[in-house]
Amino acid sequence: MAFLGLDALGKFYPQPGGAAPARIMQGISLEVPEGEFLAVLGPSGCGKSTLLQMVAGLATPSEGEARINGRAVAGPPPEAVYLFQQYNRSLLPWRNCRDNVAFATEHRLGRKPARAAADEHLASVGLAGFGDHYPWQLSGGMQQRVAIARALAAEPALLLMDEPFSAVDALTRIQLQSLILDIWARRRLTVMLVTHDVEEAIFLADRIAVLTPRPSTIGEVIEVGLPRPRDAIATREAPRFLELRHHLLNRLLARDAA
Amino acid sequence: MRHSPGILVLVLVIGFLEFAVDAGMIRRALLPPPSATAEVLWELLSTGEFLPPLLSTLKLVFAGFFLGSAIGVALGTAMGISPAMFRLFEPLVELIRPIPKSALVPPLMLFLGIDDAMKITSVTLVVTFPVLLNTLQGVRGVDRVMLDAARTHGWGLGHTLRHMILPAALPFILAGMRVSLGLAMVLAVLSEMLAGQGGLGFLILDMQRSFQLRQMYAWLVILAVLGLLLNSIFLLAERRALFWQRR
Repeated sequence: MAFLGLDALGKFYPQPGGAAPARIMQGISLEVPEGEFLAVLGPSGCGKSTLLQMVAGLATPSEGEARINGRAVAGPPPEAVYLFQQYNRSLLPWRNCRDNVAFATEHRLGRKPARAAADEHLASVGLAGFGDHYPWQLSGGMQQRVAIARALAAEPALLLMDEPFSAVDALTRIQLQSLILDIWARRRLTVMLVTHDVEEAIFLADRIAVLTPRPSTIGEVIEVGLPRPRDAIATREAPRFLELRHHLLNRLLARDAA
Repeated sequence: MRHSPGILVLVLVIGFLEFAVDAGMIRRALLPPPSATAEVLWELLSTGEFLPPLLSTLKLVFAGFFLGSAIGVALGTAMGISPAMFRLFEPLVELIRPIPKSALVPPLMLFLGIDDAMKITSVTLVVTFPVLLNTLQGVRGVDRVMLDAARTHGWGLGHTLRHMILPAALPFILAGMRVSLGLAMVLAVLSEMLAGQGGLGFLILDMQRSFQLRQMYAWLVILAVLGLLLNSIFLLAERRALFWQRR
């Protein structure tokens, strides 16, 4: 059995006045084996974040279910941690970086042990010595590193990433992508990433599930097949990378029909 | 010296009053010259006579302020996180809130007499509502993303309340408390006047009724300085507590 299974997931919102409910997505089925890096690629507004939130137990599916280790998701599962796009809204501004990382475990371990472990997690994302800084004293990229350290501190088996690099500048994005690949390889995590960035999906993922516009469903699933470890520069110049990029952009920009 | 132009105006006004009273433009019977008031004031201060009434008023302000703030924060938080609690208490709150709390002092006197219990209750009442409404707004305004972060990390309600919702609502809560502090002074002084036994409010009225105007103005100055001090101390504490907001 797959580690993560999506079984005919669908989401719709009831409309006022007896109109037909607005369908956001339907029939999303996927099997994600343990240790895989899966990217879900889709245009803005196709409900990618909603899909990820249903897996994270932060939103309730209208139909179907998500399963982790064979158990249906109902409420946030202990195996999974959600990494938000909006790091500036998910970190606590009144806490320094150390205490923001302790956030992940303090309610289970107590404040002191959680704090003691935090510096190590900060170091593992390249923020050694920043424990006493407050998030608002750091750049956007560094803040997202704090959020990543916090997610790692929870020691999740499944990391759910919601366009985590879309709010940082292009260079920082490339650095953070390499950091995530590093962490993924070291920790043998299973990752589900949603993104609208074609290159990000190809560079990071083992497989890419492409969502169609609303009501979204999975249009196709592509094996990336690029060798690992991937290189921030060389991988992006590989023929396979360019071929996938061409294919996926064609699809997302709906040029097939033209 | 960023206050210096303002202090200059203050000195000019006092100087003008002194001159105006001296020149007979203002009747001495209504306003003694500031220098005469200052003499009385100095006497009150140097003999320590000012202290018991001041402490008596301060006790009412503090007791009512803390009680009212505690009730306001507790009820506002409950109403902010629980729709059921909101529906339960909202009509009652909306009924009592618009009543000028000064109008409740006479009925309170019926039930509680004229002792501290009545005075503290009236201060508590006036403090509660601004704090309650601001807490409600602050608790409701906590960012969804932040709350989801707590959920995905497995935080329970108690931990989330204490370490996320209340700190995030703190700017609102403190703003409400700052408004309430001023109102607490008003109600403390007023209930002392209406149920006079002592305290600054009682003395100001008593001195007026016995035509001891220099004393009256001296106590008024003491009250003004007390208000200024309390407000400054609160602002200082507020800025320290909200250090993370200054960016």
